[in-house]
Amino acid sequence: MLAEKALELVREQHRCTDGALAPFNEDGIRQVLEEMRALFEQNQRDTTATVSGEVGLFSSIQLRHTALERNKRCVLAYLNNRLEHIKRMRWEFGSVLPADLRYNLCEQEVQWFNSYNRMLANYMRAIGDTGGVDLTQDMKPPKSLYVEVRCVADHGEFETQDGDLIVLKKNSQHFLLRSECEHLIRQGVLEHIVHRM
Amino acid sequence: MSQTTGHASDNYFSLDDILTTQEKLPCKVEMPIYRLGYLDQSSDDSTLQPGTKLEMPFWLARSLCSRRRHIVSVEMPRAYRESYRQIFKADPNVVDLHKLGPYFYGFGSYLLNFQHSEAADIGNSLVKTFQGRFRKIMDSSQNALNQDTSKLTEKLDESEKKIFVAGQLGLHDFQRWETRQTEKLMTSAMVQKHRKRKRAVLEETS
Amino acid sequence: MDPSEVEFLAEKESISIVPNFTLDQIYLISGDLGPFSPGLPTTVPLWMACSLKQRQKCRIVPPDWMDVEKLSEKKQEELESKFFTQMPSNHYLEVSQLLLQCATDDIPKADEVKTLIKDIWDLRMAKLRSSVEVFVKSDATHAKLNHLTLMEINTVRPFLTAALDHMHALRSNLTSGSRLSQD
Repeated sequence: MLAEKALELVREQHRCTDGALAPFNEDGIRQVLEEMRALFEQNQRDTTATVSGEVGLFSSIQLRHTALERNKRCVLAYLNNRLEHIKRMRWEFGSVLPADLRYNLCEQEVQWFNSYNRMLANYMRAIGDTGGVDLTQDMKPPKSLYVEVRCVADHGEFETQDGDLIVLKKNSQHFLLRSECEHLIRQGVLEHIVHRM
Repeated sequence: MSQTTGHASDNYFSLDDILTTQEKLPCKVEMPIYRLGYLDQSSDDSTLQPGTKLEMPFWLARSLCSRRRHIVSVEMPRAYRESYRQIFKADPNVVDLHKLGPYFYGFGSYLLNFQHSEAADIGNSLVKTFQGRFRKIMDSSQNALNQDTSKLTEKLDESEKKIFVAGQLGLHDFQRWETRQTEKLMTSAMVQKHRKRKRAVLEETS
Repeated sequence: MDPSEVEFLAEKESISIVPNFTLDQIYLISGDLGPFSPGLPTTVPLWMACSLKQRQKCRIVPPDWMDVEKLSEKKQEELESKFFTQMPSNHYLEVSQLLLQCATDDIPKADEVKTLIKDIWDLRMAKLRSSVEVFVKSDATHAKLNHLTLMEINTVRPFLTAALDHMHALRSNLTSGSRLSQD
């Protein structure tokens, strides 16, 4: 059946909706474009023939045209859903993606990620008159100004807002401003310790 | 969930809608379709001849069979015929809708576009079937916390599954709040999954 | 909405405290608070009450309704009524949860209060589920439910909206004559 390759792309993307982004399927896209080119050329030939008097070709033209549209939709949906996924990654991983995930993006997607990053940063800087608001912070109503945290992994030196230098060493515990370390918690470097009352 | 409304333009990028419109139905060719004989693998003819029977995905059948065009004619798939509708009516809860087409309601809704003589009955049957299954979906999604849900959802069609998941989400969020887990800042879900996968890869290679 | 956001809204509820410190009136965007004098009851938002209590700066005066006798009556009323009854607070669950967490010693018979609140919540959620079922199975297009609280609505919201969306899509199949004639 026609548009099978395009369907494979859609299935591939559908499978990883909740998981990791699969490597960009350049080969799959190329095959779809090839099929589309062939369909387009055949249709062009049949339309020329119809113009010069041949009859009965309409059904084939209609069928191929539908397949062309279908291919287009599948490819666009594949690309669009990947972009949505990449956008979500910006909010979950932060402005720098882990290398192994970055590797799964194609060049244009990397560019897109970078410009999204830039736009988001510019927008956040532009909110209010006092240097902006970090929208990726305090995603839930904060309960306290300071939080107690434990290092899950070695992270090196960390400079706090008041200029203190602390070393984030595995299993060390610290009492930090929530606003300073929320990103590190979300990225899995620190673990938030909650004391039960 | 506009996937059941029948307008592809509503959700052009929806992967679920693309998969829904991929569901196949029996068609019969009514006019010769030249140079596309290869679509029917059982024949060597270069033309799809009138009378040829083959299965087509909805997206294709829809474009070849409408009020204006009769390039093919369509038949309703088995799961939407009278005999099945009787089964749904008798006890909607025992039916395995996942097996009958993972997009049972969405595909069924699209089929109504063909203005088949049974369209009204099919439409009614879809509503009644969902109404009949509703309580069970609600109860199972609201009671099953922190347990394996695959058993509960295996007979649900994709749209029912989404509703089930939504129910679980509400319950889960509430339960996390009730046990005061919401106070704790957590690692992002994507980051956590990424770690898990990485660890799994490391273990495999070592 | 996340339940923690519902709780955030509940934290704006006023509550009476008896401070053990002295402080002049303070002026906040949401209104003026105080002055605070030891032993003199004053009203503050719940978030402040909890914070002061945690630092042992005050005693909390539980709301009138947070009382075993009153709550038992409420439970009985809820049990006997076909409809949802009006709750003494629109944030009864969140307020109880927070106070029972930080000020157990200020609430008489805290354990019984906790159980009663939970019972009332369970009763109401079961009722809510039954009404949702009746609604979905009827051919009604709208329903009116009085006296539901935000946390109750919030807990069923994802499910309810998804189910009603689906139902609406299936129903509009039956009436969309206009769509069928489009092609």
